[in-house]
Parts: sequence; C-alpha cells; structure tokens
Amino acid sequence: MPGALGGGGGAVYDRGYRPYEGPRGRRGAATFALFKASVRRALGLRRSWRQKVAPFTLLAVVTMPAIVNIGVGYVTRDQLTDRIEIITYRDYVGVSSALLLFIAIVAPDVICPDRRQRVLPLMFSRPLVGIDYVAAKVGAIVAILFAFSFIPQMILFIGNMLVSDSALDYFTGHLDVLWKVPLSVLVLSVHYAVIGVAIASLTDRRIVAGASVIGLFLVTSIASGVLVGDFRPGEGSAAALINVLALPLYLRDVIFLGHIDRGSPLGGVATGGLFALVEFLAVVALGLVVLWRRYRWTEH
Amino acid sequence: MQTGPLFRLESLTKRYPGVTALDDLTVAVPRGLVGLVGANGAGKTTMFRLMLGLARPSEGRLEVCGIDVAADPIEVRSRLGYMPEHECLPLDQTAADVVGTFGELSGLPARDARQRASDILDLVGLDEARFRPISGFSTGMRQRTKLAQALVGDPELVLLDEPTAGLDPVGREEMLALVARLGTFGISVLMATHLLDDVQQVCDHVLMIDGGHLVVSGATESLLERTGVVTVDVGSGREALITGLAALGMTARVVDDLVDVTIDGDDDLDRVRDLVAELGLPLHRLTTRSTSLDEVFLRRAGESS
Repeated sequence: MPGALGGGGGAVYDRGYRPYEGPRGRRGAATFALFKASVRRALGLRRSWRQKVAPFTLLAVVTMPAIVNIGVGYVTRDQLTDRIEIITYRDYVGVSSALLLFIAIVAPDVICPDRRQRVLPLMFSRPLVGIDYVAAKVGAIVAILFAFSFIPQMILFIGNMLVSDSALDYFTGHLDVLWKVPLSVLVLSVHYAVIGVAIASLTDRRIVAGASVIGLFLVTSIASGVLVGDFRPGEGSAAALINVLALPLYLRDVIFLGHIDRGSPLGGVATGGLFALVEFLAVVALGLVVLWRRYRWTEH
Repeated sequence: MQTGPLFRLESLTKRYPGVTALDDLTVAVPRGLVGLVGANGAGKTTMFRLMLGLARPSEGRLEVCGIDVAADPIEVRSRLGYMPEHECLPLDQTAADVVGTFGELSGLPARDARQRASDILDLVGLDEARFRPISGFSTGMRQRTKLAQALVGDPELVLLDEPTAGLDPVGREEMLALVARLGTFGISVLMATHLLDDVQQVCDHVLMIDGGHLVVSGATESLLERTGVVTVDVGSGREALITGLAALGMTARVVDDLVDVTIDGDDDLDRVRDLVAELGLPLHRLTTRSTSLDEVFLRRAGESS
C-alpha cells in the first residue's frame, strides 16, 4: 500500500519514480507532436462531442455534392446516353471554399488559447523554436483543409468510376484529375490556413479572430465585386484580385484550364494567372512573416 | 551520476532598455536542491529565461548541466523541466492529455509519453483526477499538474518558479515534500521563491540575488550561523534552571515556555546539560539556535548595497 503524504484536496502518494531511458527526439519530434495535438484539437478529438460537431458537419456538407452526383449517376446509368454531371472536379474546388467557415472557427481555436492561457512559455521551454510552432500549427490546419477538400473529390472520382460503363476507361480518361485536384486543393488549403492562422495569432480572443477572418474575406469580396461591377465574359478586371477569398479559384483555373476562366471576374485580364500566382505567394509570405514575428520567442 | 556544477555563470549580465535585470553574476552552483532567493524584481525570472535559452545575455556566459546555453539552447531545453509561477495550463483539457502532450513535446515517443504521464500524475497525487478537465481543478491540483508536466520528460534539472504560491498550508507542505523527494530521484531543482522558509526546509544550497546582484551563494547549512543561544525545554522546571544558571554566571530567560540560554562555546553547553542533570529536571530538548535565512538575506543584502 503506498503511503500518503497528506490529505485535503487530494493526497500525495508515494509511487516512486522511474527515470526514462528510451529514445528521445529533438525539434522534429517536438514539432510533429505539436502538429498532432493541433490536429486533434481542430477535429475535437479527445474533447467533448460539442467540439466535434462543427468540423464533421462541415465535412459532411462539402461531401454532399459528391454523394448526390454519384447517386444521380447511378440512378440514371441505364437511362441516358449522356451522363448528368452536376458538379465537375474544377467546380468542386470552389465548394471547398466553404471551408472558410471551418477556418474561422478552427484557426482561432488552435491558436488563441495558447496565448490567452499562457501556455506558450511551457511550449517554448521544450526543444522547440518559433518556426517549429508556426510549422506545426499551419501544417495542422493545412492538413485538415487538404483532407476535407480532397476526400470528397476522391469519393466523387471513385464513385464516377464505379457508375461509369467502364471503370478502367474512366480512370485512364481522367488521369489528369489525379494531379490537378490535389494541387488545386493544396493551393486553397495553404492560402486559407496561412491567412486564418496569421490573423488568429494577432489576438488572444477567439471570437475576435474568427470575426476578423470572415470580415477580411467578406470585405475583399464585396470591394472586388463593386470595383469589377457587371462584366461580360472575357471582360473582367484586375480589381478581381482584391478578392482574397476567390484568389485560389483563379489559380485553380490555371491548373485545370491552363488560363483564367473567361467567365470569372479576372477573365480576359492579360497575364491574370501570373498576377494571381504572385499575389498568392505574396499573401502566403506576408502571413508567414506575421507568424514568424509573433512567435519569435527567442531573442535575437 | 552526473558530475560538474549544475550551472555556472560567468560575468552574466542581462540588460533591458532602462534596467539591468542581472549584473555581472559569477558563480558555480552544485547539483542538488537549490533555492534561488530574491524579492520580486530581483531577477529570478530573467535568470530562468536565460537558462532556458529564451533570452540571451547582454554580456557573459551561462552553462547549464555542462552545456553552453548560447551554443545549444535546444539541447539545454531537452534536459530541463520548467514550472512557471503563473497559470499556464490549457483549462479545457484533461491532466492526462496535457502531461502526455508535454511529454511528447519533450521528445518522448507518444506511447512512452502517455505511460510516463500516467506514472507522474500518480506520483504527484493526481491519479484519480487525471481524466478530469483542468478547469475543475483546485489551485493545489493545478500546481501539481504544472509540476507533473515539468517532470514528464525526465529532466536533469527542473526549474520551479514559486511552486508553493497560492497553496494552503497543507498543500504547501505536500508540494515541498514532493520537491524534497526530487533530489532522491536524481533530479536537481532550482526553486525560485521569496519564501525563505521554503528554501530552508528543502534546499541544500542557496543562491540569493537582489536587484540583479549576487548577494550570496552557499550551502544552506553554512549560511545558517549559530547565534550563541541554546534553547532548553525542561518542562515546568524553568525557574529552577534559570536560578541555577544565574548562580553559574550565565544569562537565561523564558521565551514561549522554553529557556533561552546565552552561551560562549561548547563548555557552556556542557555546563547547562550538567546543571539540568544536577537539578533532576527532565530534559526534553537542548538545541542550538541558528540564524534564519531571512536574517542572512537581510544582513548580506544590506552589506552588498
């Protein structure tokens, strides 16, 4: 029977102490551990059911078009010569922009409590530096966004393959999807994750961070809409680049079509794709600089 | 068994704009339980930040566990545990999750981290509460969780910043008992506090700083100087003893039902003992009185300023 050293709010028991003699990682291990912890937190794992509702509801929402598309394809497989395609792979990347809501909820939840509850000193007393922290946090959000964008597309791809007349023909005929989709959703995931995490790092209040993320996307969307105004296909404006929300979709067009879609607000702008790429890189770089400065924990 | 000093400061100076937090500190401190004593603003937290490699010295050099902190702060941090004074725990997580995660952040594989989290939470007396959210913990339980996260990585040295802050007397005694036991596990402790009683109770070495200056560093016992007074407990025979001592030319007085006798060397001590025997009084206690660390600190700080 172990001996108790005291009473009151809980006794201290003498259970001895065993030194640890196993393997021990350094920065890489610590960064990966923080990445895993952040993914768990974002998905509500090891937390109450309430914390799981938002992420998995959003996953269900963004998966729904794929399910419907496959269902319609299955029901009409013997009735129509031309398949009904409710949503294309390119369009589906646009559906993933709904994950903006996920970013507004999850990025602040993953970032703000560390500062508000003053957990950062504990983290940085480990073999970890500011860049590792940023990599783990941004990496966690990118990974989840990528998964939530990629999984529905893969369901759509596999479903379309199975309901087609020849699965092998469908597969070989759509091989380009296997690189265009992951590249497009990676661009979208990195863009939204860096912006969301960078904004969240500027405050320790989740509600302020969430509102700021949504506000940024809404304000730039509206401003862009006003400046571009009504336009005919192929007569868009460079002002469309103000729309931070839509920026990844212009790059998606470049990836899928090789150029900006003529029907988009940026359609017809000379070197619009290049502008979009430069802006994407600039936004990501700016976000990372903000994060680096916020978590430059060690003095220089 | 590790050898060499626990840490070594060489002309260590840390300046912030408008203030010198630490001023030209040079000292080598042995392994074991070490108290870092000083008033608020004395430079204790700055010392911890420098030891963790989270701040860089303005001048001088700092070596912890044989490693130059400026050269390899990551290696130093992998050998240290840190328990801050302030609230620092994620309140919506369980103690098991928090301690396990910090075990992984210390570089332990996930499975080992979870196992050690369980063991350490047992050790600090939170075995039954480990799956409860920390938001429902009392101050004492939160302090133990903070200690557990500092220990989960099996550190060579653990930095404790005011570990008894906010604890009731029972909780304080339990925390000090735990700290005292860390030494038997081979873990060195640097305990920052302004409560000199805590240091006197558990630490075998004391480092005193005041206003960024080193006041004194030494073994606790060596700092506690004899006062030239012995305390004698002879029950109800106090007056008889005082009369007898006066006949021998010695001065004595009653303090809190005990007799304080002023002596001059060990011969006087023998004379007190012999007198008690001669008078047939029961001798419950005969102790020499030492100065407290408070007195040492006040005197040395006064001398150095």
